[in-house]
Amino acid sequence: MTDTTPEAHPLEQLPGDLMMWVLIVSELLVFGAGLAAFLSVRITDPAGFASAQDHLHRAAAGINTLVLVTSGFLAALAVRAAEHGRIARTRMWLSAASLLGVVFLVIKTFEFIEKAQQGIGIETSTFFTFYYLMTGFHAAHVVAGIVILGLVGIRCTPRTVEVGAAFWHMVDLVWVLLFPVIYLLR
Amino acid sequence: MKLLSDPLMRAWVWLVGLSLGSTVIATSVARIEGVGITLAGATILVLAWAKARVILSRYLGLAQAPFWHRGFSIVLAIYCAGLLGLYLIA
Repeated sequence: MTDTTPEAHPLEQLPGDLMMWVLIVSELLVFGAGLAAFLSVRITDPAGFASAQDHLHRAAAGINTLVLVTSGFLAALAVRAAEHGRIARTRMWLSAASLLGVVFLVIKTFEFIEKAQQGIGIETSTFFTFYYLMTGFHAAHVVAGIVILGLVGIRCTPRTVEVGAAFWHMVDLVWVLLFPVIYLLR
Repeated sequence: MKLLSDPLMRAWVWLVGLSLGSTVIATSVARIEGVGITLAGATILVLAWAKARVILSRYLGLAQAPFWHRGFSIVLAIYCAGLLGLYLIA
C-alpha cells in the first residue's frame, strides 16, 4: 500500500496573505514591464546606453544589493521569531531590517546627488529617463517598506509580520533584477 | 558549518555570493572585448535569475508551497529568458 498524502489546496499552501500576493504580483508586473521596455529601447542605441551607464556607480549599487539581501534575511528572521512568539526579538530583527533599508536610501541619495552634480537629470538621455524612473520608483517602495516594517513592529503578530516581510522581500526581488539590467549589462 | 544547515542562512550566503559574482563579472567587463562582453552579460542575467529564485523559495517561503513555487518558477524563467533575448538582440 502506498502512502499518498494529499497535497493541500493551492490557496491553503500560499504563505502569508492572499492580498499581499496580489500586490506583489502587480508590482512585479509593473517593474517587469519597465525592465523589458528598457532592454527593448536599448536595442535602438546599445552604444549610447553603454556610454551613459559608465556614469553610474556600479560598486555603490553592488553594496546596496548586499545591503538589501541582508535586510531581507533579517526580515525573514523576524518572521521566524514572530512564529515562536518572541516579540522583543521580532522587533529587534525588524528594526535591523529597517535600518539597512535606511542605509540603502542613504547610498541611493548620494548616487542621485552625484548625478545632479554632473548635470545629469531625467531628461539627459533615454537611458537616464529609465534610470531615474525605475530606481526612483524602487526607492519609493523602499520608503514604503520601512514604514510597513515599522507598523508591523508596533502591531506585532505572526500574520502581520509575515505580510510586512513579504512586501519587503518583493522590494528585494525587484532590486536583484533591476540592478543587473540597469547597472551591469553592457 | 552548523549555521549553514539553516535554509535561511544558506539562502543569504547564496545571495551574497551571487551578488558578488555579478559585480565582479561586470567590473571585469572593461578588460574584455567582443563576444566576451555578451557572454558576461548573459552570465549576469543567469545569476539574477538564480537570485530571484532564492528569494522566492526561501525569503518568501514558496519552497513550502509546491503549486505556487512551480508557477512562479516557470513565469520567472520565461521572463528572464525574454530579458536575455532582448539583451542578445542588441
